[in-house]
Amino acid sequence: VKRGSTVAVGSYLASRLGQALIALLGVTTMVFFALRLSGDPAQLIAPQGASQADIATLRHQLGLDLPVWHQYTDYLSDLVHGNLGYSYVQHEPALDLITQRIPYTVNLALTALVLSVVLGVGAGMIMALNRGRWPERVLMPLVLAGQAMPAFWTGILLILVFSVTFKILPSTGYGGFSSLILPAVTLASLSAATIARITRGAVLEQLARDYVRTARSKGAGTTRLVVRHLARNVSIPILTVVAMEIAHLLGGSVVTELIFAWPGLGQLTVQSVDARDFPLIQAIVLLAAAVYIVVNLLTDIAYAVIDPRISSTGREAGR
Amino acid sequence: MRSPRRAGLVGVALTAAVALAACSTPTTNGSQPGKASHGTSLTVDLAGYPASLDPGLQYDTDSYSVYRNIFDQLLHRDPRTNKIVPWLATAWKQSNPTTWVFTLRDGVKFSDGTPLTAADAAYSIQRILDPKFASQQNANFSAIASATGSGRTLTIKTKYPSPTLLTYLTTLSIVPMADVKKEGNARFNAHPVGSGPYTFASSIPGSQIVLRRNDSWWGNKPQIKTVTFRAVPAVASRVADLKSGKADLAHALTPDAAGQLKGANNLKVLSAPTERVSYLAFNTIHGGPTDDRTVRKAISLAIDYKSLIDNLERGYGKRVNSVLTPLSEGYPKGLPDYTYDPAQAKKLIRQAGASGRTIVMATSPTYDPQIVQSIQASIKAIGLKVSISNSDQATYLKKVQSPSHNWGSIRFGQWSCACLDADGVAYPLFRSGTIWSSYRNPRFDALVDKARQTLTPATRTGLYAQAYQILSKELPGIGLFQMYSIYGASSRLQWTPDAQQSFFVADMKLGS
Repeated sequence: VKRGSTVAVGSYLASRLGQALIALLGVTTMVFFALRLSGDPAQLIAPQGASQADIATLRHQLGLDLPVWHQYTDYLSDLVHGNLGYSYVQHEPALDLITQRIPYTVNLALTALVLSVVLGVGAGMIMALNRGRWPERVLMPLVLAGQAMPAFWTGILLILVFSVTFKILPSTGYGGFSSLILPAVTLASLSAATIARITRGAVLEQLARDYVRTARSKGAGTTRLVVRHLARNVSIPILTVVAMEIAHLLGGSVVTELIFAWPGLGQLTVQSVDARDFPLIQAIVLLAAAVYIVVNLLTDIAYAVIDPRISSTGREAGR
Repeated sequence: MRSPRRAGLVGVALTAAVALAACSTPTTNGSQPGKASHGTSLTVDLAGYPASLDPGLQYDTDSYSVYRNIFDQLLHRDPRTNKIVPWLATAWKQSNPTTWVFTLRDGVKFSDGTPLTAADAAYSIQRILDPKFASQQNANFSAIASATGSGRTLTIKTKYPSPTLLTYLTTLSIVPMADVKKEGNARFNAHPVGSGPYTFASSIPGSQIVLRRNDSWWGNKPQIKTVTFRAVPAVASRVADLKSGKADLAHALTPDAAGQLKGANNLKVLSAPTERVSYLAFNTIHGGPTDDRTVRKAISLAIDYKSLIDNLERGYGKRVNSVLTPLSEGYPKGLPDYTYDPAQAKKLIRQAGASGRTIVMATSPTYDPQIVQSIQASIKAIGLKVSISNSDQATYLKKVQSPSHNWGSIRFGQWSCACLDADGVAYPLFRSGTIWSSYRNPRFDALVDKARQTLTPATRTGLYAQAYQILSKELPGIGLFQMYSIYGASSRLQWTPDAQQSFFVADMKLGS
C-alpha cells in the first residue's frame, strides 16, 4: 500500500467524521425545537384532576419553564458530558432505558436481515435467470404479496396460524429462539420482497451485457456465470438497498414490535413520543441518526472495496 | 481480478451477523416461566409495561396493577360495597376537623425483614408531597399539610377539613423508609421492596415482571405462587395469547375483542362496571352555538344513548344521568334521565336560530373514533353542521386546557377520578378556573367549594344534590354511559373484578 493512499483514506475518514458530527448536531437541534412546539409533557403527566398550579409545579420540576434557548444550551452541555437526560415518565436515565432495549432490537433486526438477504437475493436471482418460465411465475406473486402485505396483517396472520391454531410457536413476547421466528419472518417478508425485486432488476440488466455473452459463449455454466461473473457486478445495487434496510431495521420496527410485544426500541419510541418524554425521544433520535451515519459510512467503504472504480479520490482504477 | 478475498468478505459479514444475532440474546435475571402456567402460577397480559414500580410515582392502571401486589395500602375498599375498610391501618379517628390519627397493624414486616412502622407510612406520604420527587400523585394528596409517625400511630394534618382524605389513602402504598433512603429512588424503582402478599422476583424491562408469593405476609396465604406480568400492547395479540394458552388473564379488552372470546373453549370474559364515564363536555364560554343552553339541550336529545351502549359497547356499559356513577360517595339521587328525542331536538335548534351553524368537535386518537363519529352523525341529524378537529393527545390537551377557551364547541372524553367521590367529577370538570372546565356559574362554584370542605356525609350529599341539579339543567356536560372494565381469562381462573380495577392477585385462584 502506498503512503499516498493511506493519507487519502485518513483525510477521507476525517472529513466523513466532520460531516457526521454536523449531521448529528443538526438532527438533535431540529428534534429539540420541534418537540417543544408539539405539546406540554407536564399536562400529559399530571393526573386528570390536577390544577393549573399542580401542572405549573410539575413544569418547573422538569425545567420546562425555562426559556427554550436556556433549555437548549443546558441540553447541549449535558450531551457533551455524556448525559442524555432522565426520562420524565419512567424516572430512569434515558441511556439506561435505551441500552436495555438495544439487544432485542439488534437480535430481531439481524435475524430478519439475514433471512431477507438470503431469501431476497435467492428469489431475485432465480427470477432473473428463469425469466418468463415457471419459477418466475410462481415467485413473482409471492414477492408482490410480500411487498403489499403490511406488517400488522402478516404478523397477526402468522400468530393465528402458528400459535393459535397449531400451537407450535409462542404468540408474543421474548423467550429464546422460538419466540424470534414469527417476528423475524414478519419483518423479513417486506425487506426480502424489496431485495428480490432489486436483485432481479440488477441481474437482468447485467445479463444483456457483452461480458455475459462472452462468458456464455466460452461455455460457462449458470453456477460459474453467477459466482464468477455476475456476483460482483450486481452487488452494488443490492448493497445499497440492504444498507437502507439495515439502518431501518436497527431503528426498531414499531408495528412488528407492538404486535409481538417485542421489548425493542420501536416500542420505546412509540411510548416516549406518546408521552412527550423529551429526554428519551431526543436520546432515541440521536442513536438512530448515529446508526444511519455509521451504516452509510460502512456502505461507502464497502462500495470502494467491491468496486475499485468507486473511490473517494475519484481516480479511475486501471484494470 | 475476481477475488476469493472479497467473496470471503461477504461470508465474514454474514457469519458475523448470525453470530451477533445468536449471542446478543439477552439473559434474564431470575426464573422465566415460558408457556401457559399451570397450577399455581399465573400469567397476566397488561396493555403496557408499568411506567414505574415505585408506588410513590405513577398511578396508571398498568403500574398499579403490578405494584399494589408488592405493597400494602394504608386502607382498602370492600370489593362488594366499596366501603372503606381497615388494611394496614386497623383503626382511625379524628381528633379535630383537620387532624386524623391512624393506628397501624401490629407485627407487619417488609419482605427484607424490617418492621413496618408509622414512620414508614408518614415517609410514604412525605415523599409524594416533596416537590423534588416530582410524583404524579402529588395532586391527590395536596390537601395534606403534614404526616408524622411514631410507633404504631400515624398522624395526618390537613390544610382544611378534607372529606376525601380516606378515599385517597386507599391508594397509598407504604414503602420502607430505611431501604428507600439507603438504595435511592432509582434503585428502589428497579428493585422494589414492600410488605405486600407478593415480592418482586425479576424483570425484563419493557417486556415482563415476575412476582413471587411472600410467604411471611401477614394476611391469608394466597393460592397463586408466581405471577408473570407481560406487556402486550396490541389487543389482538392479547386475545391470541389467551387463545394459544400463553396468558391466563388479559387486561383492557375492547368490547369487540371480548366478542371474539365468546365462542372459545376454556376462556371467559370477566367484566365490572367502573366509575369511569364516557361523556361530552361543552364549551359554554367561547363555544359558538354551544354557548346557548338551548343548543346544548337539543344535542342531549339528539343522542341515542341506548344504541351507543348496545351497538358500540356491545352491552359493556350502563346508562347514567350525569357524569357521575352511583358507585360514588355523594351521588345525588333523583336526577332526571337523559332522553332521546330527535324531533324535539330539531325543534329546539330552530327555536335557538342555530340551524346550519357549525359545531367544532375537538378530539384525539386516544378517544374511540367510532363514538366520536356516531355523536357527529347524531348532531348532524338535528340540523347542525359538525367539523371534527382531530389532533394528537399532547396538542389536544394544550388546546382544551388553555385558559383562552378557544378549543371548539364540544369534546368527547372518559373520566375517572380514581376516588369514587362526587367531588372528583364536579370540581375538576366543571368548577370555573380548573383545567378541564369551560363553564362559569358562581352558584355552582360556591356549592362544590363548600362540599369540598364539608365532613358530614349527609350535608355533603345535600350540597352535591344541588350542584348536580344545576349541571342537569344547564348541561355544561352530558354523561353518555358508565364504562366497564373488560378482562379475558382462562375458565380456570376464579376472580371477580371490582369497580376500582384493583388487581389484587391475592384474591385470585386458579383451578386445575
